[in-house]
Amino acid sequence: MLTRFISDQNLPDFMQKLRKFGGIEGPLRGEDGGVRFGNLSDGTTPDIHAIRTLLPAKKYLFAPEERLFNYTLQEGYKILLEDISPVTLFALHPCELAGINYLDRLLGGDAPDPHYAARRSQITLIGISCLPDEFCSCHISPSPLQALSDIFMNIVEGGFVVTVYSSRGKEIMEDMKDLAEERELPVPQDARRFFGVSLPLNVMSEIDTGLPEWQKLADRCLGCGACSLCCPTCACFNILEFAGLDGVSSERIRYWDNCLFKSHSMVAGGAVFNKGRAERFIYRYRHKQRGFGPLRGVPSCVGCGRCRAFCPIGLDLRVLTELLERSAV
Amino acid sequence: MNNIQPLRGEISIITRMTADTTLFTLSTKPEYEVASSFLPGQFLELSLPGVGEIPVSYCGFPSNNGTIELCIRHIGHVTNAIKSSAKGDYVGLRGPFGRGFPIDTYGGMDMLLVAGGLGIAPIRSLLLNLLFVRKRYGRIRVVYAARASRLLLFLDELLDFKKNGIIELLLAVDSLAVGEKKNPDCRIALLPALFEEMKIEPEKTFTAVCGPSVVYPRIITSLQNLGVSDDRIHISLERRMKCGIGRCGHCAIGEYLCCLDGPVFSVAELSGVEGGIA
Amino acid sequence: MKKLRLAITGMTACSGCQLSLLNCENELPDLLEKFDFSFFPLASSPLDLIGEYDASIVEGCVSMPHEKKLLLELRNRSRYLIAVGTCAVFGGVAALKNDEEREVLRKQVYGSSSIVESTFRPLPLNNLVQVDASITGCPPEKMELLRLLGGLLAGALPVDSDYPVCTECRIRENICLLTERGELCLGMLVSGGCHARCPSMAVPCEGCRGPLPEANLREALRIYAEKGFDRETVFARLRRFCPEWRL
Repeated sequence: MLTRFISDQNLPDFMQKLRKFGGIEGPLRGEDGGVRFGNLSDGTTPDIHAIRTLLPAKKYLFAPEERLFNYTLQEGYKILLEDISPVTLFALHPCELAGINYLDRLLGGDAPDPHYAARRSQITLIGISCLPDEFCSCHISPSPLQALSDIFMNIVEGGFVVTVYSSRGKEIMEDMKDLAEERELPVPQDARRFFGVSLPLNVMSEIDTGLPEWQKLADRCLGCGACSLCCPTCACFNILEFAGLDGVSSERIRYWDNCLFKSHSMVAGGAVFNKGRAERFIYRYRHKQRGFGPLRGVPSCVGCGRCRAFCPIGLDLRVLTELLERSAV
Repeated sequence: MNNIQPLRGEISIITRMTADTTLFTLSTKPEYEVASSFLPGQFLELSLPGVGEIPVSYCGFPSNNGTIELCIRHIGHVTNAIKSSAKGDYVGLRGPFGRGFPIDTYGGMDMLLVAGGLGIAPIRSLLLNLLFVRKRYGRIRVVYAARASRLLLFLDELLDFKKNGIIELLLAVDSLAVGEKKNPDCRIALLPALFEEMKIEPEKTFTAVCGPSVVYPRIITSLQNLGVSDDRIHISLERRMKCGIGRCGHCAIGEYLCCLDGPVFSVAELSGVEGGIA
Repeated sequence: MKKLRLAITGMTACSGCQLSLLNCENELPDLLEKFDFSFFPLASSPLDLIGEYDASIVEGCVSMPHEKKLLLELRNRSRYLIAVGTCAVFGGVAALKNDEEREVLRKQVYGSSSIVESTFRPLPLNNLVQVDASITGCPPEKMELLRLLGGLLAGALPVDSDYPVCTECRIRENICLLTERGELCLGMLVSGGCHARCPSMAVPCEGCRGPLPEANLREALRIYAEKGFDRETVFARLRRFCPEWRL
């Protein structure tokens, strides 16, 4: 495969040229030490070695709060689609690419969610290689995930080996001719891959909901929501409608939701279908490791390690996986 | 099917059924043609401007003049607010969604329809569908129970059907009100008691059930005791079906999504599914 | 459409919640179009209670006989009675010393003066009357108040939420003040809706919006202990806005 090499020295110029294709959002380390995806304006330096951002790039495709419709007497419910400018998401780890790929399957497809599709169509993905830390649960083997990006950059001595995977990526790299040397280079093996692709068979078997460990985990869970907010593939949403002060109009807003909240399974009249936190844990586990509905059988844990890293008490899905692997033996 | 965009409907008739239950007849604009193409047991997403959107079972017959009947109990955010809606008010409509009762498989069969409380809504829709081509089916029995006589919905209509000999009707209420006279057509019993002396031919009977989920285990046991196999017991489940199209993540039952794979399931499909039947 | 008649008033409180509504200066003209502020002593010359109200919006907790009388009167005259602010919903700061004798407290503050009105232990509104909806916060967010009023026009009451301050704090991508900085932040036990105002300014959550319905206090105390905060310290802070915290 034809690859290109961009040297470390040329990276700022590469970024500068990249801005021509739209705003760049990438990992930035704040003064407080936190790493967040943010605007890489001229003069900012992305932290390309950061292991994980507080929120995944999901926030660009599926906003935490999004106006979906407004209602007026004349037009009824009218879909609100703001003009979205092109955005390049820079330095996405393979687990981020896997997360976006999952969201594409959930919210894209033949009859896509219109708000998701509008954002997605404006987004260019530039992946980057990385090294796992103790929270990551992606396994070590070659990865098909690079191909989910438009451009993938493997970090090597002195620069980046750049591979192009889409026509959009090709168009961008055409413009970088003076910065990128074209040469045949071996594409380094990615140290990561989508954790979910080859779960051990016993984990894919039916979940033993009778294990006492569920309750033990549930007793400790604070219900703070951190695990799902920071999960690249958690996309449960709630929709609320708010009436305007004119007594006629209203707006309908979508919010990120969380399966560990009681309201998640509550219906009119107050019945709650996942009453206890243990049941909600099972629900969450089932969704992450086995999928449901059209994505039945598609695990959605990408192994990014955020849920464990950010859980105030250190719970995560890997604990559950290990637990189930043990119990299935 | 309109998945995303709520289309215009209008409240055309408001019929108060009980103190907390109202039958709304909606008229729809031509663009919402699906009004006439739903299956009993399917649901739509009903929007009330400024308040919100909720899933509601169709309770009528698919009409070709674009009217939709919805029987609504006023117990939630949207359903309480719609209580003060008036004739001519706008409502938003999306749907139909989900898997309804498999009426194609019911041809030539005896039908046993079982409803508890507000569960009569989709069961009535199924009944009207069966009666539309009455000859196609064998015996049709409707078993219906509510807490009190005044809470039996569509009672006059059901009694009329019974009088005309096109259905058999077994009614029950939990108790009589003070001073209320016993109605000879209505037993004082809990729903499962209505199956006690029933004789059916299980090999040519399908059953359709809708009611509060707490009574499902007992109803299912009763039907199994009558010899009905699990794949012939079709029950409608309630969950928080927010989006109706399998995306919002609220309505999973095991690995099913209630809004796509249900809300009507056979008991066989739910066997071994944790949390399916309470 | 007929204007909705509102009664807006305060019990034992600082009037901050009512002021938050008056601070919605951009929206006030719209509000006057749609609402008849029939009884709103903070914003107009005192008027008597007259007729029925579509909604009474009440701030503060109840600690004096005349407040109790007014509250019952408002309940009797209103379709909806809505508790606004932490004091009305949970008791708030006025209830901070509810474990101590009233007489002792009175002496501490007023000495032997005899002109002090009689008071009783401050109570949240729902201890005395049915409350149809609650908006917590010290004060509530302006947006919450405006959405409450918009909702009344549409015939709906606000939807209860059940997520903690942590949820919105994570969405804002703040560094966790408890786990990363070792500060006594109450976010995980406290109802959200404030968009994590304080933690976003690196100020630990003081719990002003009151307890989360499903707060996991036992586990929280364990983490606080790990971070060096004993039970007394944690409870002292928790009870500042809601005296009812118990394990």
